[in-house]
Amino acid sequence: MTIAATFLGGAKSRLLPASVPFRFFGAAVLFHPAAWAVLAWDAEAAVGFTGGLGLPLAALHLLTLGVLAGTAIGAALQMLPVATRQPLGAVWPARLAFWLFLPGVFAVGHGMGAMHLWVLVPGGLAVSAALALFGWLMVDNLRGAKSLPIIAAHGWLAMVALAALAVLGLLLVFDFQSGLLQDHTAAARAHLILASYGFMGMLVMGFSQILVPMFGLSPEPPVLWGRAALLLSALALAVATVGAVANDVVLMLAGAAIGLAAAGAHLWTMAAVMRARMRKHLGLSFLLIRAGWVLFPLSILLGALDLLDLLGPRGGTLFGFVLLFGWLLTFLLGILQRVLPFLASMHAAKAGGKAPLVSALTAAMPLKVHAICHAGALVLVAAGIVAESPVILRLGAVAGLVGALAFAAFAAEVVRRMTGWSLGRTQK
Amino acid sequence: METDRTWQAADGSHIDVRGLNPPEPMVAILALLEKADTGEVVIVHHDREPIYLYPELAERGWRHEIIAGEPGEVRLRLVREPA
Repeated sequence: MTIAATFLGGAKSRLLPASVPFRFFGAAVLFHPAAWAVLAWDAEAAVGFTGGLGLPLAALHLLTLGVLAGTAIGAALQMLPVATRQPLGAVWPARLAFWLFLPGVFAVGHGMGAMHLWVLVPGGLAVSAALALFGWLMVDNLRGAKSLPIIAAHGWLAMVALAALAVLGLLLVFDFQSGLLQDHTAAARAHLILASYGFMGMLVMGFSQILVPMFGLSPEPPVLWGRAALLLSALALAVATVGAVANDVVLMLAGAAIGLAAAGAHLWTMAAVMRARMRKHLGLSFLLIRAGWVLFPLSILLGALDLLDLLGPRGGTLFGFVLLFGWLLTFLLGILQRVLPFLASMHAAKAGGKAPLVSALTAAMPLKVHAICHAGALVLVAAGIVAESPVILRLGAVAGLVGALAFAAFAAEVVRRMTGWSLGRTQK
Repeated sequence: METDRTWQAADGSHIDVRGLNPPEPMVAILALLEKADTGEVVIVHHDREPIYLYPELAERGWRHEIIAGEPGEVRLRLVREPA
């Protein structure tokens, strides 16, 4: 071993084996068309969905657990050790988490859709165990964080939200069986806030501080605005969650107002990063990321308007759709389409020799099809909800399904080109 | 042009990005590579292996190799590939 290689022992171990993040990304890519397909299947129920077992709830959880959490877990396992400058304590919990996560999400989706509690309960327990393992890895890593305190603090907030949402999620599952909760709707609302703005939102906002500058080639984001976004987010989450549990509209509105200020501070840091970037042409991925930035505050605004009864009877459904399929899905698909070929190239470079070009691993056509279909899906499903039209909503969900299949073709092409490149190198 | 983090030596242009938070090292290195007066060889002094830099180097036609450095340092030699 060379002297240089000896120095690298610790540095290299910050990079997980490629199979760990890629298996979570693969699951997300597969659950993505499933979520749209289930939404299209029961468009009649989805138009006025406000909660309760059935296919819309199944579609929602295939999206939130399968796609959003799957992407977030894969990205967090890969990015956090780099941000905190220390390796994960162990890799086996991540592998075990995946084998609990994959069947668990299937079971939750099936159990909710078919109203089979005997499938839903073990599925919920498996997913909770997977999230607990992931949370343990994250907390263990965050405890030794040596740098980037703002990202680490976002990580801590996400983990607190994860613990609370998992407990509430299990209570909601058991409530379908035994009716132990006094107010199922209030608990479900708190679960939604913690899962979307808490767990997912904090990971999105935290990792944006490193991923967006990395992809745009910009200096570090302004620290003051990053801190402001963090503190306002923590306050907004606490106030809105307490308001949801207590069924207190004033508290929830206060949470939404503080949340809007937090979103504003976050978007200000992102705007500063974009202004200072070296890379001028950011491609299709940043079109989705920018759309996500618009939909983030819009979702909070819709939530507040719905609380004030200004959106009509379908306001809650529209809010949930814009929040989950709009902001979070759009943003994460923008990140994922940038990350997949980038990580593939990086892991190949780590193996030694010349890395394949990111551009050579990226198939442009499926991504164009996906972007067009995704935009169409968002507009049509939202219009279907507003017009109370299952036909329009189904058209939108089918467009989303076609887009999701195109995205899956892009991901499969990354793997095919990467495998071809590795085989070619081995044969040389 | 020399700064407190960049300097010229017989073996090429040098840049020291130790102590910077990600993604500042990547941005500083790529900014140096894009300067007109940067030669064919750049030596990077880093405190960790810049794994996220490699795809960007490949995209710009630079190859990398890790060479011996000081204790606690990861030193890379970047070489511009012939067009």
